[in-house]
Amino acid sequence: MTVLERPSQIRIPTRARVLSTLSKVWTYVLLSVILLFAVFPFLWTLAISLTDKTVVSGVSIYDFPSSLFPSKLTLNNFVDIYQKFGLGKYIVNSIIISSCTVVGTLLVASLAAYPLARLHFPFRNFILALILATLVLPSETNFIVNIITLRNLGILGTYAGVVLPVLATAFGIFVMRGAYLSIPETLLEAARIDGATELQIWWRVMLPLSVPSITALAIFTLVGSWNDYFWPSLALITNENLHPLAVAMLKLKGQFNYDPFNVAAGAMIMMLPVLVVFLAAQRYFMRGLDGAVKG
Amino acid sequence: MNRTRSYLTAYVMLLPALLLMGIFTLYPVLYSVYLSFTQYTALELGAGKPPVWNGLENFRVVFSDPLYQTGVLNSLKYLLVVPVLQLVSLSVAVLVNQKLAGIAFFRAGYYIPVITSISLAAVMWEWVYAKDGLINATLQAVGLLERSSAFSWLLNENTALWAIMLVTFWQGFGYYMVLYLAGLQSISTELEEAARLDGASRVQIFWRITVPLMRPTLLVCSLLSTLAALRVLQEIMVFTGGGPLNSTYTALFYVYSKAFQNFDYGQAAAAGMGVALVGFLLSGLNFRLTRENYREGK
Amino acid sequence: MLKKLAFVGLSLLASSAFAQQKTQIEFWSWYLSPKFDDFIKGVISDFEKANPTITVKWQDKGATIERDFQATIALGQAPDVVNFWNDSTAAAVQANLLVPITDLTPLATLNKAYWPNVLNIFKIEGKYYGYPWYGYVDQGVMMYNTELLRKAGVSVSKIKTLDDLIEASKTVKAKTGSYGWLPPIKDPNGASFLNWFYLDGLPITQSGKAVFNSPAHAAVLQKYVDLMKADVIPQDLLRKEAFQLTNELYSQGKATFIVGGPQSLTRVKDSNADIYSKTKVVGAPLGKAKVQSGGAFSLVIPRASKHPKEAALFAQFMSNNTNQVKFAKVVPIVPTTKGAERDASLKATGSKDPIAIATGKVAGTGKLINPGFAAPKNTDAVYKNFNDNIEAAFLGKKSAQQALSDAVTFWNENAK
Repeated sequence: MTVLERPSQIRIPTRARVLSTLSKVWTYVLLSVILLFAVFPFLWTLAISLTDKTVVSGVSIYDFPSSLFPSKLTLNNFVDIYQKFGLGKYIVNSIIISSCTVVGTLLVASLAAYPLARLHFPFRNFILALILATLVLPSETNFIVNIITLRNLGILGTYAGVVLPVLATAFGIFVMRGAYLSIPETLLEAARIDGATELQIWWRVMLPLSVPSITALAIFTLVGSWNDYFWPSLALITNENLHPLAVAMLKLKGQFNYDPFNVAAGAMIMMLPVLVVFLAAQRYFMRGLDGAVKG
Repeated sequence: MNRTRSYLTAYVMLLPALLLMGIFTLYPVLYSVYLSFTQYTALELGAGKPPVWNGLENFRVVFSDPLYQTGVLNSLKYLLVVPVLQLVSLSVAVLVNQKLAGIAFFRAGYYIPVITSISLAAVMWEWVYAKDGLINATLQAVGLLERSSAFSWLLNENTALWAIMLVTFWQGFGYYMVLYLAGLQSISTELEEAARLDGASRVQIFWRITVPLMRPTLLVCSLLSTLAALRVLQEIMVFTGGGPLNSTYTALFYVYSKAFQNFDYGQAAAAGMGVALVGFLLSGLNFRLTRENYREGK
Repeated sequence: MLKKLAFVGLSLLASSAFAQQKTQIEFWSWYLSPKFDDFIKGVISDFEKANPTITVKWQDKGATIERDFQATIALGQAPDVVNFWNDSTAAAVQANLLVPITDLTPLATLNKAYWPNVLNIFKIEGKYYGYPWYGYVDQGVMMYNTELLRKAGVSVSKIKTLDDLIEASKTVKAKTGSYGWLPPIKDPNGASFLNWFYLDGLPITQSGKAVFNSPAHAAVLQKYVDLMKADVIPQDLLRKEAFQLTNELYSQGKATFIVGGPQSLTRVKDSNADIYSKTKVVGAPLGKAKVQSGGAFSLVIPRASKHPKEAALFAQFMSNNTNQVKFAKVVPIVPTTKGAERDASLKATGSKDPIAIATGKVAGTGKLINPGFAAPKNTDAVYKNFNDNIEAAFLGKKSAQQALSDAVTFWNENAK
């Protein structure tokens, strides 16, 4: 049978086949061009960070094409910037701020979402509307008032001052509420009949069944917090020593402008963790959660 | 009894969220409105004095400040990034919404700029835009630019704002692509198939079928993107600080400068109200378009 | 009775606890960490040993130091000792944020310790506001890349004046493609361009009025505008962190000369040892007026400081002769203290090392430091307007004459 079929298969590659192959090639060309646009700054920065700058006649990051394809590679720039800029301190700060933000956000959102999803109590709809309203209220000048509030609370220039104001977000609460709403009521009823309190139900039933949403929220919060520049730079205005990497990056750039190879290495060090998290958890990003990270 | 206890549980669980939101999200909004009608500067704050009511004075000062007008104009100019960003993102979403080998790889690649901190973008793009940077070198290589007439894109008052807008575009298209992708996967492909059988070209299908079907998502994304563009601030802080010659001075950069360079919180709040007002007008416009769409569609 | 005893006992406890309570002061430096961590931390620990009741908390600030200074004062968390420079000191005094240091240290003590010309830099409206810390000279030395000069066929002995230097830069650019000299044009912390008037002997102010709008002034500006147009000097000199451009390009073999304080050499050595090995040092060429300019960093004490006495002790300690000489050995700064010029360890010793040679050339020049002109009142606004006008001239938005006239008008209206 296969032998018989073969001739007919050969006959098909007429106009249509050629056209479709051609359009496939074109599609890939287009896809690659866009990919290049998206990642060329990284590739170039990576190349710069790996360049051996101690070449006799001096190297410039603006010598093309050698700046894109360095002839001598080295990891010295990474060691250099780590030591000379004391990057370790900023990495620790970033880790503390990001992990507190993630844990706090998860806790606040997963707690608040439960009553909003599954319990009946007075003012429920009002509270829901209020939380929703924070998405549309004008927040342009909130940072000014928040700095003053942090001062009054005595936590300006502390980790708590950076973290606390960003923990409760409508986005987090709605993600968790969505997860809880999809859990069948019968499971809750069964637990209630067994005499479980609402807190126990939350901990033993709701949380374990919402792991995918919790993971997604954790990852989005992590990336957002690691990358945030504006808020930490203000909340830590009185305490340079607690700056996270994203803020320190600009100081590094200002201080080492004369040595772009080191700046590039610093940039790659900051990018790496985010990239790893992203590649490991791609599917969560590609699902398209509205309102996450940007917007 | 049981019911009150269950109410209590509900409120206890809500407490952290409501407390934090109240203090750091709702209160600042209300307090900013109040501040905009008061005199409140570093002097009052430093001395522990409360804001002093001064009516519309801040609005008068701010709205007649040429720098604020420049800022608002630049912010409105910045909105031009929105239609381009949305159409390109939708087209890219259509492009990657095909079953092709390795398509996930491309999608992931397009998303990488989204997860890049603005401070890293600043480092990388400053080199790209430098006088001898990658863009000029490429333009020279293909013969579009003379070596002698090369200039740094961020140091020229005619190009600086556009250069920053391109960074916004670069950081945004992957994000909106994902949102559109979700939308595309939820609409039926029957119409598209039918059109294709009728011999419609890709471009025709895109404009006649995909865009109308995606209109709700398009409008939501446009709104998000419009508000983000109107509030552009971090990009300005890390790239140009408002220069050269105030050509990248945006409205929100004015708010920031009033608060953290002149330390006049009252005027900063008033300037912020102006931006908020423009935001409301644009959102209103968007909702009207959405409603019309709803009536036409159904 | 018992109550009374208990009260006495308690208050004793309280007061002894109070005695052990250390006073903490906060010190801000500007762009010194982590490069000079060892030096700064060393001085701090010496100070804490000498003053066991005081501890010093140190923060190093960058580009945002002036913003952060005002913000933290407004927010009630002022630092106690802050590292400023000419213009930022003047701006802070105008905002009434600083204590006159003569309130804390007798003038006689100051005069004995520091060079009067440097003390005078921070004398604003008749009062002294800054303990002079490390200084720098704008025309201290000229460092050059011998290989680039050889390729261009330029002999360094021919470069005696700024105009010679410009001519040499044109030749180097034409023959090698690398830039020659990169004159500072604009910086966020001052009004660099005024310096070029000063060096050519042109007046900047006369009896309090700005007068830098004569045709001779315009010609100076036009000369540099033309140089940028011809790409003899790079357009990047207008960027945000232009003050580091010279180091950046020199380390990459893209610039031939560095004119200024030899402190740059430390950075060149760090980022490209090969180019450093090809570097030689000579005296710097001067402008028509044959004068030198320079400046110094100050240590100031905000009015909002809760411990001004301790702060003054620390500022004096940090800037005393011993510690400035130590600093000069780490990096070739110019000590502003009397006595540093006699310090044998800072003398050139016949070494071939460019840094050693340069250190020997500048270490004793503290008494020659002269900024050339004083900061005007309303410093920030006036200098911003000046820089905007200079930028407009370089971008071709205004003629040189127009730019200077506009700047003079603004200056005279606002610097009252």
